[in-house]
Amino acid sequence: MIEQAWIIAIIPIVAWLIIFLFAKALKEKVAYVGILAMGISLLLSVLTFSEALGGTVEKSFPWAVVGDIKIPVGFQVDPLTAVMLLVITIVSLMVQIYSVGYMHGDVRYAKYYAIVSLFSAAMLGLVLANNFFWLVLSWEIMGLSSYLLISHWYEKPEAAAAGMKAFITTRIGDIGLLLGTIMLFVYTHSFEFNVIAEKIHAGEINQGIVTVAALLVFAGGVGKSAQFPLHVWLPDAMAGPTPGSALIHAATMVAAGVYLVARAYGIFVATPYALFWVALIGGFTALFAATIATVMTDIKKVLAYSTVSQLGYMMLGLGAGSYTAGIFHLMTHAFFKSLLFLGSGSVIHAVHSQEMHEMGGLRKKLPITYWTFLIGTAALAGIPPFSGFWSKDEILLAAYRSPYPVLFWMGVATAGLTAYYMTRAVILTFFGQPRDHHKYEHAHESPPVMTVPLVILATLAAVSGLPGSPFLHNAFGEFVKFGHGHEAEPSSFVMIIAISAALLGVLAGVAIYGYKVISREKAIRSWRPLYLVLKNKYYVDEFYMAIFVRGTVLLAEIVGFFDRYIIDGLVNLVGWLGMQLSFLSGLFDKYVIDGMVNGVAAITMALGNSARRLQTGFVQSYAITLFAGVVIGLILIQLIGG
Amino acid sequence: MIPLFYVLVVSTLLFALGVYGALLSTNAIRILMSIEMILNAVNLNLVGFGRYITPSDPRGQIFAIFVMTVAAAEAAVGLAIILVIARRYGAAAIDRVRMLKG
Amino acid sequence: MNLQLLAFMILSLVTLGAAFKVITARFITHAALYLALSFVGVAGLFLLLNADFLAAVQLLVYVGAITTMLIFAVMLSQVEEIRQGAAEEGFWRRILSARFGVIPLAVAAALAGVILYLYRFANWKAVPVAPDPNTTRSIGQAMFTTYLIPFEVASLVLLVAMIGAIVLTMKKEDRSR
Repeated sequence: MIEQAWIIAIIPIVAWLIIFLFAKALKEKVAYVGILAMGISLLLSVLTFSEALGGTVEKSFPWAVVGDIKIPVGFQVDPLTAVMLLVITIVSLMVQIYSVGYMHGDVRYAKYYAIVSLFSAAMLGLVLANNFFWLVLSWEIMGLSSYLLISHWYEKPEAAAAGMKAFITTRIGDIGLLLGTIMLFVYTHSFEFNVIAEKIHAGEINQGIVTVAALLVFAGGVGKSAQFPLHVWLPDAMAGPTPGSALIHAATMVAAGVYLVARAYGIFVATPYALFWVALIGGFTALFAATIATVMTDIKKVLAYSTVSQLGYMMLGLGAGSYTAGIFHLMTHAFFKSLLFLGSGSVIHAVHSQEMHEMGGLRKKLPITYWTFLIGTAALAGIPPFSGFWSKDEILLAAYRSPYPVLFWMGVATAGLTAYYMTRAVILTFFGQPRDHHKYEHAHESPPVMTVPLVILATLAAVSGLPGSPFLHNAFGEFVKFGHGHEAEPSSFVMIIAISAALLGVLAGVAIYGYKVISREKAIRSWRPLYLVLKNKYYVDEFYMAIFVRGTVLLAEIVGFFDRYIIDGLVNLVGWLGMQLSFLSGLFDKYVIDGMVNGVAAITMALGNSARRLQTGFVQSYAITLFAGVVIGLILIQLIGG
Repeated sequence: MIPLFYVLVVSTLLFALGVYGALLSTNAIRILMSIEMILNAVNLNLVGFGRYITPSDPRGQIFAIFVMTVAAAEAAVGLAIILVIARRYGAAAIDRVRMLKG
Repeated sequence: MNLQLLAFMILSLVTLGAAFKVITARFITHAALYLALSFVGVAGLFLLLNADFLAAVQLLVYVGAITTMLIFAVMLSQVEEIRQGAAEEGFWRRILSARFGVIPLAVAAALAGVILYLYRFANWKAVPVAPDPNTTRSIGQAMFTTYLIPFEVASLVLLVAMIGAIVLTMKKEDRSR
């Protein structure tokens, strides 16, 4: 199977096509098409995985040759790919099964399944690709499906705006990835990861260039994985359907940035400077997003910031030098975060609200959701022996052994905060007295089609950490490693610190929200400035609005000003007079700020009026110009080219 | 044998006449005719070059045949467009159709 | 002056003279007939250049088909101005105006001048090989081997043009009005 691993990515595409073409005829049966396809893919992924234990495969042949540019088509299956294949197919399958219940009766049911299938295909293609060309291609398809899914309910203005925001924000990073790819191609003449890594390893490329290229590639990861400063799109992306968020904006697509860094690790290890930036951005994002998550009241927003934070954690692990730790956390996170998202979807499905202050006491009404959510929380909070503990421990270990102690303490603080806000979310949602009795009365447990995936994912969230634990002699690390793998020695100090940070967080959460030892209201009052800063997410959105959006408008105004001077001499007298008039009114408008736009419009009109004289509408006038141009061109060729 | 230059002179003059007619006329059908003349001049050029430079190879003539094909297609579609314009605006006078105006 | 050159001169004169009359003729039907004559002249020139097959095609396609189609379109048109072709002023009056006379004349003359000037300096080596005696055969062979794909594409172009022309001129029942 491993020799034909590319089929895994083709199957969901076929499903997408079928859904796309026969959406009308199949109606809600499209779900079975998607689920069947993903099931086959999962089966093949398992086969591939078992074969990948024996060795890696890489196949490639030139697809298009333009001059000396060779664009390859190829795939590879190494341990990293094999693990990713499993994670993607499992989560995607669970999400699709779950969606049968969650999306039931949706207006764009078929479209939802089509996008999820397309997305799965793109993500599988991404991890199978052995070169940057196909990686970027899949990357863009993923971006598209993410956009489509966020604005799934595009009648809601905030959903449409969120889709746009996600698209534009990630695009900034994507440009970095594209530039990095081109740069690497220019210097190494290859798109293939292995070839590029070999050439860099052999020292053929200037160190500075490698660093710049690595940082550009990392920019792509920053955008896709919602790292600071491009994290703003992910919380807004929660406007999409919850299972879609679970698949794309929690478990898989956002992890693509982490995967990208891991896949290009050969480039990164060559430049300690770039690696340091990966770790720093990751660590900072982890801490930064975790603090915001502590004050969010929307359950999906909490999980969204938690996702941003955990992705930062993975970046921290990669940047601190442990390839294994980053990927291990990616895997465990995919399971427990999709579980938490689907669990929150089940809650939302039951109470028709995302506000945690309108929930409370749901543990009796939604027992299965409650227990699975609790397992997910324990995994995320890093309570042993659940999966998150083992993977976080490895990251902290890597950070501890790295030359920058600040990274380690950032990680520890994040771990504590994570435990705190997840405890808070669980208590607010499932414990205490119902705060909204009407919603509480109507709440009921979701149908089995939704709870069964929850149970399966909960099992995985509980046990998927064991392969990386000392009990199994760190089997995961033996399998997925970079080069010969130089894993840091386990340290009981790190483990104790990690456990105590998690327990401290849990205790603080229970103390504040469970037993109300410290009054929440009083705490908010005495820490009001800090609370406001957190509540407003550090004003990053406002900052971007002020700098980039207003800045663009200001730039446009400056350019408009400039324009007026340049075209000054070109227009005829009437246009010129009109322009002066507009110029004056433009000056006036500059002081009355909102009038500015009208000035620009008037200039454009005046310009257009003078320019349209040239466009007579007579075809023959154009033809005369054309032939006159030919004559002049011929004379010029004769004169210059001789 | 006729010198190549003579053939080129004739084709150039025919070409220039075609261009002149296309630029000058106000009747769309006459413009179409002028364009046919231009294409004929091109054919003449192709055949002339073919005869003198690659006499053993028919490629010049084959190109001319393709030009004729396209010319026939162009004439048919062009005429159809003119008739539609005429039906719509009441005249084949192209200078009255000024939809390309800015 | 040999006989071939004489024939060439006469055919050239006929071609160019007829072409000139296409531009200047008062009536559009006359112009179409002159166009046919000009095409016949070109066919004759093809014969002189040993392109006998092409000469036949020229007669069939241009004279037989295109010109006939033009004349039919003119005569059968329901639009008065096309049929009579008297929409424009006389040629000699128009030639004095800038837009319809001087500028096109200058452009066309400049074009011809420049092209001829360039030809004078071009150095083409004429290959003194006797012409292919059986052009039809070699054209046919090349057409169905080397140029098979262009040939198929050309057929597609013709089909599309045919459908396009039909669709364009089809009388729609005015549902909109």
